[in-house]
Amino acid sequence: MANVTFPFPFPQHLELMLPEIIIAIMAMTLLIWDLFLGKDKKAWIAYATIATCIGAAFATLYITTGTPLTTFYGYFVMDPFASFSKLLMFLATVFAVILSLDYMKDEENVGEYYCLILFALLGMMLMVSSNNFVTMYLGLELMALSVYVLVAYQRDVLRSSEAALKYFILGALSSGMLLYGITFLYGVTASFGFDAIGAGLVSANDSAHGVVMLGMVFVLAGLAFKVSIAPFHMWTPDTYEGAPTPVTAFISVAPKIAGFVVFMRVLHDVLPAVQADYTMILVFLAGLTIIVGNVAAIAQRNIKRMLAYSTIGHVGFILMGLIAGNAAGYSASLVYLTVYLFMNMGVFAIIILMRRDGIQGELLDDFAGLSKVRPGYALAMGLLLFSLAGIPFLGGFWAKYVVIMAAIETGHLYLALLAIIFSVVGCFYYLRVIKYMYFDEARVSFNFIENPLMKMTVVVTALAVTAIGLYPEPVIGICRQALVGLI
Amino acid sequence: MDNVLGFPILSLSIFLPTAGALLIWLFLKNENAVRWAALIVSVATFLVTLPLAMTFNSGTADMQFGELYHWIPAFNIHYQLGIDGISMPFVILTSLLTIVCIISAWRCIQTRVKEYMLAFLILETTLIGVFCALDAVLFYFFWEAMLIPMFLIIGVWGGKNRVYATLKFFLYTLGGSVLMLIALIAMYFKTGGSFSMLAYMDYPFNFEWQFWIFLAFFVAFAVKVPMWPVHTWLPDAHTEAPTAGSVILAGILLKMGAYGFLRFSLPMLPDASQYFVPMMVGLSLIAIVYISFVAMMQTDLKRLIAYSSIAHMGFVTLGMFMFTQISVEGAIFGMISHGFVAAALFLCVGVLYDRMHTREISAYGGVASVMPVFAVVMMFFAMANVALPGASSFVAEIMVLLGTFNPSPEAMASMPFSMKWVAILAATSVILSACYTLWMVKRVLMGDLKKEAVKGLSDITLREFGFFVPLIMLVVWMGIYPLPVLDILHVSVANLVDQATSSKLEDAALIAQSAAAHVTGH
Repeated sequence: MANVTFPFPFPQHLELMLPEIIIAIMAMTLLIWDLFLGKDKKAWIAYATIATCIGAAFATLYITTGTPLTTFYGYFVMDPFASFSKLLMFLATVFAVILSLDYMKDEENVGEYYCLILFALLGMMLMVSSNNFVTMYLGLELMALSVYVLVAYQRDVLRSSEAALKYFILGALSSGMLLYGITFLYGVTASFGFDAIGAGLVSANDSAHGVVMLGMVFVLAGLAFKVSIAPFHMWTPDTYEGAPTPVTAFISVAPKIAGFVVFMRVLHDVLPAVQADYTMILVFLAGLTIIVGNVAAIAQRNIKRMLAYSTIGHVGFILMGLIAGNAAGYSASLVYLTVYLFMNMGVFAIIILMRRDGIQGELLDDFAGLSKVRPGYALAMGLLLFSLAGIPFLGGFWAKYVVIMAAIETGHLYLALLAIIFSVVGCFYYLRVIKYMYFDEARVSFNFIENPLMKMTVVVTALAVTAIGLYPEPVIGICRQALVGLI
Repeated sequence: MDNVLGFPILSLSIFLPTAGALLIWLFLKNENAVRWAALIVSVATFLVTLPLAMTFNSGTADMQFGELYHWIPAFNIHYQLGIDGISMPFVILTSLLTIVCIISAWRCIQTRVKEYMLAFLILETTLIGVFCALDAVLFYFFWEAMLIPMFLIIGVWGGKNRVYATLKFFLYTLGGSVLMLIALIAMYFKTGGSFSMLAYMDYPFNFEWQFWIFLAFFVAFAVKVPMWPVHTWLPDAHTEAPTAGSVILAGILLKMGAYGFLRFSLPMLPDASQYFVPMMVGLSLIAIVYISFVAMMQTDLKRLIAYSSIAHMGFVTLGMFMFTQISVEGAIFGMISHGFVAAALFLCVGVLYDRMHTREISAYGGVASVMPVFAVVMMFFAMANVALPGASSFVAEIMVLLGTFNPSPEAMASMPFSMKWVAILAATSVILSACYTLWMVKRVLMGDLKKEAVKGLSDITLREFGFFVPLIMLVVWMGIYPLPVLDILHVSVANLVDQATSSKLEDAALIAQSAAAHVTGH
C-alpha cells in the first residue's frame, strides 16, 4: 500500500467487492429504469430492489471465507464480521422495502425512493467493510446523505421536512466531530488505516497523550451521534417521529448495525492502546443512554416517538457488549442487533398497518381493542413487545441476557445492575401498548390495507423472536463465528 | 438422576398443556368445544403427573425422573429437569388446581373464552416448569415466562381496576426477579461456568458471596411469597383477578417464592441463611401478626383472603428458617394445605360474586339461609383457614410451632433473644386468624336476611359443588392422616436441613488458601 504509484494498478481480488458492485450497478440501473416505468408500475422497482438484496446476499455468502481478506490496496476488508453484518443489513433492507410498498405508493417519484435505499445500503456496506478512516467516512456520508433525503421524502408534510433538517444539521455536526477526531489521530500516527493507527498509538510518545485523548473523544462522540447514544441522541425522537414510517423502521435498524460494526472495529483495531480511558467514558455513556431511553419513553403518546426512546434504551444495552471488549461482548452485541432487527421490523410493520381510513395510527390510543378485532396481529404485536421488554420465552430476553453476561464477566457489575433495573422500568411502556391492545375496547374500525408481503413480515418476525427465544443457540453460535478474524 | 419410568415424563407434563393449547388455538372455534378441550388437556396433564406420585421413591433425596439435554452449549446451559420430595407435591398441586380453574371458569368467563383457556394452559406449563427445573437459567426462564399469561389473565378478565393491578403485579415481580438473574450469572462465573443448581448446592461460596447473593435472591423470592413490606401487589392482584386467577395466584404462585427459598437460599447459601434468620423471623412475625390485623379491617372479601394468605405465608417462611426437620416439613405442608384452602376460599368468593357481582362484605348477610349447601362448604374452608384440628392447616401450624419452640442451634445462633418469644407471638395467629375469618363468616353467612339482593340467591349448582368436593376431601385427608404426604417429604427435607445447617465456610477458606498458594507458587 505504501508503494502505490500512479497510475494505480488494477486492484487485486476485486471479487471481494462483488456485493457492493451488484448494489451500485443495480441502484443506478433502477434509477434509469424508473424513467421508463408508468406511474402504476413503480412497484416493480421495489421488487427489483428486493431481488437485488437477495442476489447480493448470495454473492456475500459466495465470497465469504473464514479468514479476513482485503482488496483495493487494503482499503476494503472482507471478513466474516463484515459479511455477517451485511447479511443483517440486506435483511433489514428487504423488510424496509416491503414495509414501503403500500405506505409510499402514493408519493411522487417513488422509484427514486427505492434507489436511495439501495444507495444508503451501499454506504453502510462500505462502512462495515472499511478498515480505514477514509473508506469509513465515505461510506458513512453516502449512507447519511441518502438517509437525509429518505427522511424528507414526504416533503409536503411539515414534520417530515423538519425531521430531515434536524437530522441533517446534527448529522453534519457529528460528521465534523468525527473528522476532527480523525485528524488528531492522523496527526499522531500519520496514518488512516485502523491497524496502523492502532499500532501507532501503542508506541506513541507520552507527550502525545493529550492529543490522542482529544482524538479519541471526538471520534467516539461522532460515532455516538450516529448510533444515538445519550447525550448525543437529541435528533432521534424528532427524526423517528417525522420520517415516513418505513424509513423510521429502516433507520432504526440498518444504520445502527453499520454504526455499531464500525464502532467495534474502531474500538478493537484503533484504540486498544487507550482501552482503559474509553471504557470509562463508554460505561458512563451506556448508563446514561439506558436511563434516558427508558425513562423518556414512558412520557410518550406517539408510538414512533416512544420507539425512538426505546431504541435509545436498546442502544445502551448493545453498547454494554462493546464495553466488555472481548469476543463474548462483541458477539453479544451482534446477537442483540440480530434480535433487535426482527423485533423492530415487526413492530413497525404493524404500526404501518395501523394507518387506515385517514388515521395515522401512530398514537397509542389507536391500538385500543386491536386484539378483539384482529387477534392475529395483536398476538404478533404482543410477542414482539414482550420480546422488546426482554421477557422469556422470547428472543429479547436472550439478547439482554448475553450482554449482561458479558458485562458481568468483565467486571461491570454495577452497569449490569443499572441496565437490568431500567429494563424493568422500560417494561412499563411496552406493557402499556399491550394494555391498549388487549384491555381496552375498540373505538375505531380496523380496515387494514393488507398486502401478503406485509403479512409475511409480521408472521416471520414474530416467529423469529419466538424461535430465537426458545432455542437461541444457533444465533449465538453464528454471532461468535462472525468474530473470527476480528478478535 | 435416574429415571425409573424410562420416558421423559417431566417434559411431557410440562409441555402437554402448551401442545394442547396450540391445537386448540389452531383448530377450535366453538366456545363450548374450547372449554371441553381445555378440560381434557388439563385432566390429561393431571393424569400424566399422577405416576410421579405413584412411582416416586421416597427413600432417597436424589432428584428423580431426571432429564438432561444440551440447550445452549455456548453458555453451558442445560435443559435439566428432576424432582425430589420437595418439588413433587407442587407439580401435582399445579396440575390439580389447573383443572379446578378451568371448571370454575366454565360459566363466569363468557368473553374471549378461547384466549382464557389458552392463557391458563400456557401458565400451567410455566408453573410446572419452575418446579421441575434444575438448571438455574431454565428455572429463571419459566419463572419469568409465567408473568406473560398471568399479566393477561388479570388484565383482560379482571375487575374494574385491573390495569393498575396487573401492571403492579408484573413490574413488582419482574423487578424482584431481575436481581436473581444477576446473582445467577455471578454464581456462574464464580463456579467456573456452571448453571446447574445441584452444582451450586455443592459449591463452597465464601460468606461475602453468600451475603450478597442471599439478598438478591431474597428480593426475588420475598416479592413472590409475598413478605412484608413488598406484599402490596398481592391484595390488588387478587382483588382484580378473575376467580380462577386468584385461585392459581394463591394456590401456586405464592408457593413459588417459598419454593425458591427452599431450593436456592437454604441449600446454596447456608451461612447467609443462618445469618439472616433474625430478619426472616422478624418479617415473618410482621406478616403473621400485623397483616392479620390488616386482614381484620378489610371490607372486600377477596382482599381479606389475600391478606390472610400473606399471614399464612408468614408461617411458611418462619418454619423454613428454623432449620429443623419438623418445622421445614410443616412449612412445606402448610404451602400445600394453603394451596387447597386459599384456592377454595377464593372459589367461594367467586360463587358469591357470580351471583351478586360485588365483593363488599357489607352487601351480604344471612347467606346461609338461602344457600345452605354453600354455607356449609364455605364454613368448612373458613374453619380450615383458622387451622381447626382435623384440617390440613392445623397439621402445618402445629408442626411449625413445635419447630419454633425448639429450633436448631444454627437458627438460634444469630437470634438476639429466645425463640420462645417468637413462638408465642407466632401462636397468636391462631387467635387472630380466627378473629378475621369468623368475623367474615358472621357478616357474610350469618345474621338476619335483610338485603333484598341476598334473598334471591340460589344455592350452588352441581358443577360448582363438583370442584369443591375434591378440595374438601384433600383438606380432611391431609388433616387426619398427613403421613403419606409427610413420607414423601421426610428424606428430601432431612437432606435440605442437613445442607442448611452445615457451613460452607471451611471449604471456602480451603479453596481460598489453595488459590493463594497457587498464586505464590508461580
